[in-house]
Amino acid sequence: MASSINGNGFITTTVDELLSWGRRNALWPVTIGLACCAIEMMHAAASRFDIDRLGMIFRASPRQADVLIVAGTVVNKVAPMLKLIWDQMPEPKWCISMGGCASAGGPFPTYSTLQGVDRIIPVDVYIPGCPPTPQGLIFGLLELQRKIREKKVTRYEKAFEEFKKDLSPELLSGIGV
Amino acid sequence: MPWASKDTLERIKHSFRQINIDIQPHFVCINVEDTKDITNILKHLKDVEDFRYFIDFHVIDFPKEKDRFLGQYILVNPYTFERLAVKVWFKNNKLPTAKEIFAGAKWAEREAYDMFGVEFEGHEDVKRMFMWEDYKYFPLRKDFPLGGIPEQKLPSLTEVLEGNTMPPSHDYDIMHTYVPTIKEIEKTEKSRITKRGQLVLNWGPLHPGTHGTMWFLFDLEGEHIIQTDVILGQLHRGMEKIAENIHYFQFLPYTDRMDYLSAVCNELSYVQAVEKLANIEVPLKARYIRTMFAELQRINSHLLWLGTGALDLGALTVFLYAFREREKIMDIIEGNAGFRLTSAFLRIGGVHYDLAKGTLEVAKYFVKDFYSKLKEYHGLLTRNRIWLKRTKDVGVITQEDVYQYGLTGPVARGSGVAYDMRKIDPYAAYDLVDFDIPVGDIGDVYDRYLVRMEEMYQSARIVEQCIEALEKMPENEPYVNKKHPAVIPPKEDVFNDLEDMVKSFRIVVHGENMPKGEVYSSGENPRGELGFYIYSIGKSSPYRLRIRSCSFYNLSVFPKVIEKHTISDAVALLGSIDPVVGETDR
Repeated sequence: MASSINGNGFITTTVDELLSWGRRNALWPVTIGLACCAIEMMHAAASRFDIDRLGMIFRASPRQADVLIVAGTVVNKVAPMLKLIWDQMPEPKWCISMGGCASAGGPFPTYSTLQGVDRIIPVDVYIPGCPPTPQGLIFGLLELQRKIREKKVTRYEKAFEEFKKDLSPELLSGIGV
Repeated sequence: MPWASKDTLERIKHSFRQINIDIQPHFVCINVEDTKDITNILKHLKDVEDFRYFIDFHVIDFPKEKDRFLGQYILVNPYTFERLAVKVWFKNNKLPTAKEIFAGAKWAEREAYDMFGVEFEGHEDVKRMFMWEDYKYFPLRKDFPLGGIPEQKLPSLTEVLEGNTMPPSHDYDIMHTYVPTIKEIEKTEKSRITKRGQLVLNWGPLHPGTHGTMWFLFDLEGEHIIQTDVILGQLHRGMEKIAENIHYFQFLPYTDRMDYLSAVCNELSYVQAVEKLANIEVPLKARYIRTMFAELQRINSHLLWLGTGALDLGALTVFLYAFREREKIMDIIEGNAGFRLTSAFLRIGGVHYDLAKGTLEVAKYFVKDFYSKLKEYHGLLTRNRIWLKRTKDVGVITQEDVYQYGLTGPVARGSGVAYDMRKIDPYAAYDLVDFDIPVGDIGDVYDRYLVRMEEMYQSARIVEQCIEALEKMPENEPYVNKKHPAVIPPKEDVFNDLEDMVKSFRIVVHGENMPKGEVYSSGENPRGELGFYIYSIGKSSPYRLRIRSCSFYNLSVFPKVIEKHTISDAVALLGSIDPVVGETDR
């Protein structure tokens, strides 16, 4: 944190810094397993790797989560449902594409497979591998943390801009924007 | 003797004059000439000849023939373990349904309709099995391309949001096959069940309890389920279509990704089928290595079932304990194959690498330790009062269900059917090791739990015997039969020997043509009988490769068993059937 501690034990920092610090250290992924990668995702959460150490707890409801780990092959049939889950997650949110299939179709250039999940969901971090090892997934999550630290929460601001468009000028002056 | 004997065939021929008998080394079938007779013949085979165990039904497409589609049943006599295939041509794309004779045919016919567009007279419930209701094509027909038909523009959103990068983030085609809308998916859902009760509850497709992406529809009266249907296809990747388009050896890594929990067992079933087709002998050392890894993988797979099955019923501790052992097995596999989960360790004609240094010591230590760990699991669950209440007398599957629906593996053995390919038709080194098949009594969830626990113990025993045998073998014993023209030589020879390099180059680029013929061969997976049917026309890739999936048929009994039970039992039952979506959908 770009901050300083003065003699009285206070920390001075910016609100942005504080928010991003809080967000990146409590990333809660949605529990969704699509294919083989889901097993490695489970391994990352289980005994040996234990990503709880990084403040990550799998949540079963998309409403409580802020990271979507797309673990496995996304086929055309499941794509709209996955998109629905992404839409149900509250902002700010991030997406990790785990493995070759989710990133670009992988070894399945077939009639039924979506060629990369970035066709329907904007992806923040791509993790290569078929499937990536749990170490690989943890590396990807750390990269996401770095991205949040460096880039701040841009998509959140965009959403706020969109929100402001719908409001009347009187209301905007009322809330001091 | 896994195939029907001459006596049986003669008896059948005697009853029905209008059939031809076709005997091949690894395939015996009867050709039914007139489509109308098929119902009678199936009934006769079931009631008189005792071929009452339904194994598979699939379709082969011959676009140039008059009748185009050929249907094929595979049946087994559960008393003598004879296997028999029945072939029949579709008349005007139609075949009388077999779902009254074999209940398992219901789903198989749905799948045939979905993939080939063939119809079944008398089957009013033919729906799309894997694709959605408005999907226009029939993908497994020979005139449909592997990549599908691009219909819509679907740009990468990363590029749309962040702008194009130079160089481009990845090389991709902006045109994409049709992706359905949520409305079309809802239409598929509505077409499955006509509501009779108070409420239709969706379970899945993206629910942690459904072991992947299965989608259950429960029609509920209070808490009791009065009817149910399962929507599959949320992981349908087109495996069978891929197999028709690539060389035999290239399909091996795809088998890993089918039932991703038991990669080595899948590979073993597949390479076995190809070896039978090409008549390849496998060296003894490779057979032992295969057996050892298949059994380690079986323990690995059953541990995941134990962990998640208990987790579904609320016992988190078991999950963490089971994954502790899984990590150890995965380390052994990674040390030899270089990959943890989808190992691609076996090769046609042998195994990819010789055993890594120290494998046997590690495996020996693991097995020694595993017996005590198994006791720990028993201590956690076997006499746990909550566990007993949730599993005893829940989800009872009868022997008749097993035959009717074609259930295999621990699900069949839990109901008292001792059907295990390792004993019936021993492959790899299973005829050289000593082990028992545990069999259940009532066929409830608890029985299946005990069967799987005992199977882990037996697997550990097999691994011990394999280690013993491998330790006695001299170090430079061959682990791949590289003399056969269809076998890719091991990597170390490729780099040191010109002849082997040329051979490897030739096979990798052009593939090796296999002899003409048909093979159906199956292996015992942790989930049941995984069969591969290969129809070869003498090319380097199969004309048709059918995967007889154990999870698919095991799951097909679910709607019947869960009727009149509660939702909480559905979780326990699904956990005990233990399907893997990668294999049900392929």
